Amino acid sequence: MSTNKRKLLNRYHVVFLVQSTMFGTGVLSLPQRLSSLGYSQALFPLLFGVIASLSIWPMIWINSKYKNENLFRINEILLGKWIGKSINLFIVLQFTLFLAAIISSYMNLIQTTALPEQTLTIPVLFFLLLLTYIVNGGIKSVARFCIMAFFITIPMLYFLRWAIEKGEMSHLFPLFNYNGHEFFEALRKGYLSILGYEVIMFYFPYIVNQKKAYKHALVGIWISIFLCFITTLVSVIYYSEWQLENIEFTVLHLFKAGEFSFIERIDIIGITLWIFLILSTSAGYLWSAKKGLDSLRSKKKKYHVYLITIVIFAVVVMPIPLESQKKLFEGSYYVGYLLLVWPIFLSVVHILRKKQVQQ
Amino acid sequence: MNVKFIILAIILAMAFLTGCTAKEKKIPLEDVGMVGVMAIDYIDENSLKLTVAIPQYSPEAKEHTQIFSVTTELVSQGIVDIEALSDKKVVLNQLRVVLLNEEFVRHGKARGIIKHLFRNAEVGNKVLIAVVKESGEEILKEEYPDKPNINFYLNDLLQPSINTAFNPNTNIHDFIYTQTNPVLDSIVPLLEKKEGKIEINGIALFKGDKMLRSLSKDDALIIQALQGRKKLAPLYINLNDNNKEEKMMLDLINSKVRMKGNKSMDSPKLTVSLKIEGTLVEYKGEREGHLSTHEEILKLEEDINKEIEKDISKFLETLKELKVDPIGLTEKFRMHYHGDWDKTMTRETISKLQWDIHVETSIVSTGTLR
Repeated sequence: MSTNKRKLLNRYHVVFLVQSTMFGTGVLSLPQRLSSLGYSQALFPLLFGVIASLSIWPMIWINSKYKNENLFRINEILLGKWIGKSINLFIVLQFTLFLAAIISSYMNLIQTTALPEQTLTIPVLFFLLLLTYIVNGGIKSVARFCIMAFFITIPMLYFLRWAIEKGEMSHLFPLFNYNGHEFFEALRKGYLSILGYEVIMFYFPYIVNQKKAYKHALVGIWISIFLCFITTLVSVIYYSEWQLENIEFTVLHLFKAGEFSFIERIDIIGITLWIFLILSTSAGYLWSAKKGLDSLRSKKKKYHVYLITIVIFAVVVMPIPLESQKKLFEGSYYVGYLLLVWPIFLSVVHILRKKQVQQ
Repeated sequence: MNVKFIILAIILAMAFLTGCTAKEKKIPLEDVGMVGVMAIDYIDENSLKLTVAIPQYSPEAKEHTQIFSVTTELVSQGIVDIEALSDKKVVLNQLRVVLLNEEFVRHGKARGIIKHLFRNAEVGNKVLIAVVKESGEEILKEEYPDKPNINFYLNDLLQPSINTAFNPNTNIHDFIYTQTNPVLDSIVPLLEKKEGKIEINGIALFKGDKMLRSLSKDDALIIQALQGRKKLAPLYINLNDNNKEEKMMLDLINSKVRMKGNKSMDSPKLTVSLKIEGTLVEYKGEREGHLSTHEEILKLEEDINKEIEKDISKFLETLKELKVDPIGLTEKFRMHYHGDWDKTMTRETISKLQWDIHVETSIVSTGTLR
């Protein structure tokens, strides 16, 4: 493969990299996370889309000022070697935890639905092996995998048919009956589900057509947002408000609504197919984390990927009490929000230190 | 060289270490007992009687179904107890029907049990629920000589079919949905054991989590019609005024319902318009032989309209009295209401509800004879 060339990603790669890193485990429980809004949540993903479109702009802007550097290098250039490196270390740790959180939540779901009689060690191991295989191929291989994952999983939209048939359309009538507190709770919990587009700050230097990157990223974002929108829409039609609030993996139960004459349990098929989406999401993050480790140690080593994977494996499989594991993961989610604001801060620093840096 | 050595070492290690793995505990399919029907009977506040029917595929067995019955406090504990009686590992993956007896649901215990099944990932959401009049255990243990197997029989009986279109086909999701949706009260088909047969004998109407009373098939059909079911069961109509008695049967082709609330909470009023299309399949009465002209048909349609309007009105009156809403009439008011809607508001709205019903019947054909 053409791994030696610097510019690797064409526009389709960019669109689907952005799209697939956003669309992972979060969507499975998105309607539950937005449940403080009740039935009014149906339109909420569109608001997320607007926020995402606005917040990706500073990311692209700061990156376009340093066309050949990723965020790790930009941190070092703008904030100095030591501050930059410690921030980078922080980001790598956050990504590692975030990955562990994604994988462990999906694996728990698999355990409760598809493999109730097994421990998770072996499935997690195989998952991580596959993941390192994808990531070792470089960012282009990740992007290609994302495209494949998208087209393999998109037919699952058909599985929503039965839920729509059965649902009550009048739930959709917009009432906006929520207060500010409920609104912010939904925003805080729900926005996690669409995180992932910020990874563009790390593969930006590889994009061929950097001037149009914003446009392509937007296409990716809105594909994801549209899918999230369909998810909440169908959930609102199909469920009662109590169910929205109490069913943890809402999408799983949506799939349970139907059956073919030759397949009884569509939910199991849907949930196991979902592994493509989890793989594509975590591949993006793992690749970025690996780049981070490269830049921390200032040399490229293949075993960096394995190092991170081993840490993830340990966090997922180690007998850490569930309670503290949950807290750890939740912490990593909220730190993820910081990464959205970070480019704005960097832009300010960039404007202030423009002359100094360019010398 | 080095890589080859590592691979060799791994293969060797794998070959020798296979002896150390724990013995495989996967159970072959023949040894899995898949519960098809589960019946729950009321004993007292704390305990219940759990009966399950498991198909027996072994050709040596004389009976095709294994029935086990235990007294227990929890369903899953009961399953474990049944496993001790059975030669197989009992699983719930193939559960199709859950029967609850009337006493059990009248005591308001149904919600807890169904919620347990809803939570259980092994159980699909398409499991059908039915209430039985006396004892679920007896229904399972009864002989049905002309039926292959109680599992198939009950499942097929409760599946949607045109002639039992009054049957709400309540499955686990529907039950939880109607239980937790403040604008709805649950309805579940009601079964009764006859000699060698099982009959769907109307539906059980819930108020909150307790069963309130049973409703006849005709009332159940009105519920289905007003909920907007497209294909309805053949409609029996008895026009009975001025000492003239006319009986007829309408095969319904299509029905369409439109409901509109007046958005007022103080004097809620609902406009219902129901359009039904059907063929007149059988007629008995004094207009027999005169029904060939268009005018006559129109007149008959008019009479049918009035009759159905009267029936619906009477039924809604009953609902108003009982303060229950199995149809979801109050949804038309909730969707315009700002703020949280709860069950007490549903009760209040339905007790104040006024309505205006228009039925439009059109008889498409009267058969091929003139």
